[in-house]
Amino acid sequence: MSAAAPSIKSQPVYRPLEWDTAGASHLLFVAADDRPLLDRLLAAPPHGELAVVVADPIAAERLGKTTAAAQMVLRHDLSDGLKSLESIVQKAHMGLRLYLVGPEDAIWQAAGIAARYGMLSPEIRLFQTGTKARPVFCVHCRAMTRGVRTNLVDCSGCGRTLFVRDHFSRRLGAYMGFQIDAEEPGVKPPVEVAYP
Amino acid sequence: MNAEIALVLSRIVELAPGIREFWLTREDGGELPAYSGGSHIVLSLPLPGGIRRNPYSLVGDPNDHQKWRIAVRRQEQSRGGSAWLHESAREGQSIKVSMPANLFPMARLARHHILVAGGIGVTPIVSHARELARLGESFEVHYAHRAPEFGVLTNELRQLAGSDLYCYVASRNETIDFRELLNGRPLGTHAYLCGPQGMVEDFHKTARDMGWPDTHVHSERFLAPPPGEAFTVRLARSARELVVKSDQSMLEALEAAGTEPPFLCRGGACGQCETEVVACDSTIQHNDLFLSQAERDSGRKIMPCVSRLSGGCITINL
Ligand code: FES
Repeated sequence: MSAAAPSIKSQPVYRPLEWDTAGASHLLFVAADDRPLLDRLLAAPPHGELAVVVADPIAAERLGKTTAAAQMVLRHDLSDGLKSLESIVQKAHMGLRLYLVGPEDAIWQAAGIAARYGMLSPEIRLFQTGTKARPVFCVHCRAMTRGVRTNLVDCSGCGRTLFVRDHFSRRLGAYMGFQIDAEEPGVKPPVEVAYP
Repeated sequence: MNAEIALVLSRIVELAPGIREFWLTREDGGELPAYSGGSHIVLSLPLPGGIRRNPYSLVGDPNDHQKWRIAVRRQEQSRGGSAWLHESAREGQSIKVSMPANLFPMARLARHHILVAGGIGVTPIVSHARELARLGESFEVHYAHRAPEFGVLTNELRQLAGSDLYCYVASRNETIDFRELLNGRPLGTHAYLCGPQGMVEDFHKTARDMGWPDTHVHSERFLAPPPGEAFTVRLARSARELVVKSDQSMLEALEAAGTEPPFLCRGGACGQCETEVVACDSTIQHNDLFLSQAERDSGRKIMPCVSRLSGGCITINL
């Protein structure tokens, strides 16, 4: 039931992740320790150079012991991981393929960095795994509230109570949040955990 | 549709043996519409046997509203168009020209641009280089030609690209090594080529082998419509019938019969002239670069600007 198709077209659909054999070199960004997926990918690495950037404490711990990639960068949180990713992408050459594994917040921030360096969608594969928590963009004050697990959330910028829509912006890497009680102040549906 | 304006062939310059430059200006000296780097126009050439429409890339400055410039090489197997421009065209003559269309645009988000020209394929490359220079973008130009005297427009490119212009002269045994050219380029680099078909194919293949996605590799090639057997076209909607002569393209025959099918490139690349096939009692020779294999196999579509029939009769939804 929760595996139903996305209710709105703009919500990204993630295909099972495979190496892109057309690539000449590969960069895997890991922001969640999806063991079966990572073990499957790393058991059959692609042709060409492979670099791995880990941005998650559990994955860093585990992969640090088990994986032999040409280049392995272990970071324990997302912001350090994104910085390492950027410094590699900055110097990387055409022919690179980027694989982003983790929660949507992490993988879309990483995709945004790649886009800044001119990478286009055929060079990037994303796969959502780990927490379903959503980054929410407030359409009123344009602030970003990250790690949202509930259907309603107080905006980190303007404090309005936002209803989290399924409408996803790839450019912003976030779901849209609209003020819930705009019509009738104080009238709100119950708060539920919607994105575990 | 296919709007044309009458312009004057105001200047003809011999650039090299078999290569001429033409200036087109407005009869009243007024301003011409703007265009973007990589655009082409279609000239309606008044050949003795009828109008021949040929596409040519604009070489000039997209910001020059006084004149449009094209450079034309006399094709050895000219179907009459380039031969007419080389032998019969006179300064001061009026000529009908289409509005510019761009099938070879630049990637706006690129971090670096590599422009490659082969022979007369230099024409759109010059207008790209001009636009990139004006925008202050990072770019380089690689220009391959047969012999020193055929390096037409080298001086213009030198002014635009400075030391980032590299010339390769075949008579001096210089060739472009695509592998070397594309190696170690930063992410976000886009490569563009205009040149002969074999060069274009080689370029795409090398780039693909080196892991470049097609989104970063751009090329322009216009095919000349190949001659072939004469065949018959039936127009389903107007219940008319016409014959495509062996040296004529199907599009030209349709135009000569007074229909106005849409077109942009007349070279099998843009898809604009796509026409629905209702029936066909012979084999379609698909010469375009547009239709997919599945579309070709279906037999339901034809690009009349370059594709034809090996004899017989085709009925189209027109
Ligand atoms: S006119 Fe462009 S494909 Fe025929």
